[in-house]
Amino acid sequence: MTGDTKTGRVCVGAIAGAFGVRGEVRLKSFCANPADIATYGALTTEDGSRSFTVTLTRPVKNGFAARLSGVTGKEAADALRGVRLHADRALLPDLGEDEFYHADLIGLTVLDTGGTALGTVRAVLNHGATDLLEIGGPGLQDTVLLPFTREAVPTVDMAAGRIVADPPDGLFPDRADD
Amino acid sequence: MARSVWKGPFVDAHVLKKAEASRDSGRKEVIKIWSRRSTILPQFVGLTFGVYNGKKHIPVLVSEDMIGQKFGEYSPTRTYHGHMADKKAKRK
Repeated sequence: MTGDTKTGRVCVGAIAGAFGVRGEVRLKSFCANPADIATYGALTTEDGSRSFTVTLTRPVKNGFAARLSGVTGKEAADALRGVRLHADRALLPDLGEDEFYHADLIGLTVLDTGGTALGTVRAVLNHGATDLLEIGGPGLQDTVLLPFTREAVPTVDMAAGRIVADPPDGLFPDRADD
Repeated sequence: MARSVWKGPFVDAHVLKKAEASRDSGRKEVIKIWSRRSTILPQFVGLTFGVYNGKKHIPVLVSEDMIGQKFGEYSPTRTYHGHMADKKAKRK
């Protein structure tokens, strides 16, 4: 789990250690466009106790070299190794119609068209075709992958925290005879 | 060496048969296949195939830009979840 939408924060990167001896850090970005990590304002640690302003200095192997506000020496940079950086969810840009952040979809309850709970969204995957919602629940032995299409997912109600699904036959084991 | 053009695209006969049966029935269903080597043909567009990856059937909704590829390309056999961060999903 790399984000917590309830607290309104999303994990966007991690510090991999010091870079050089002048207080720069090696930053690993989890963003879709890696350089966007510097555009989300001040980033906080997981517990929210520390906050850093990020300035990317150059791309390096597997990430960026960056300066963090308040980190001036190699020792301080080394001490931050492994720290995950979180951005405020509200600072992510607004999306168009039918576009959703993975962080918003994960955790939503999935109901069928009759109102029966099928499970919750565990992850959002994309293997090159359509996006897939990975749905898990107490009644399912294994997770089920649901194509994220208008036909299979007619309603996404963010305010109510639910998705209405109309899955194709054979996708959910118990619904094979429906 | 590339496959000779005169042979045409390779598709397992049972995949073609299942796809035709599904299209004729008009039912909304996932067509379970194990044939990862079959080429995606134009008549498969709009159908959803469950392509086996060695563990489970991954739903693949065929679109026009997938024609000519193999089914296996859309059903990875190794798991990597990565991080969600600011990644987006688009409902098609």
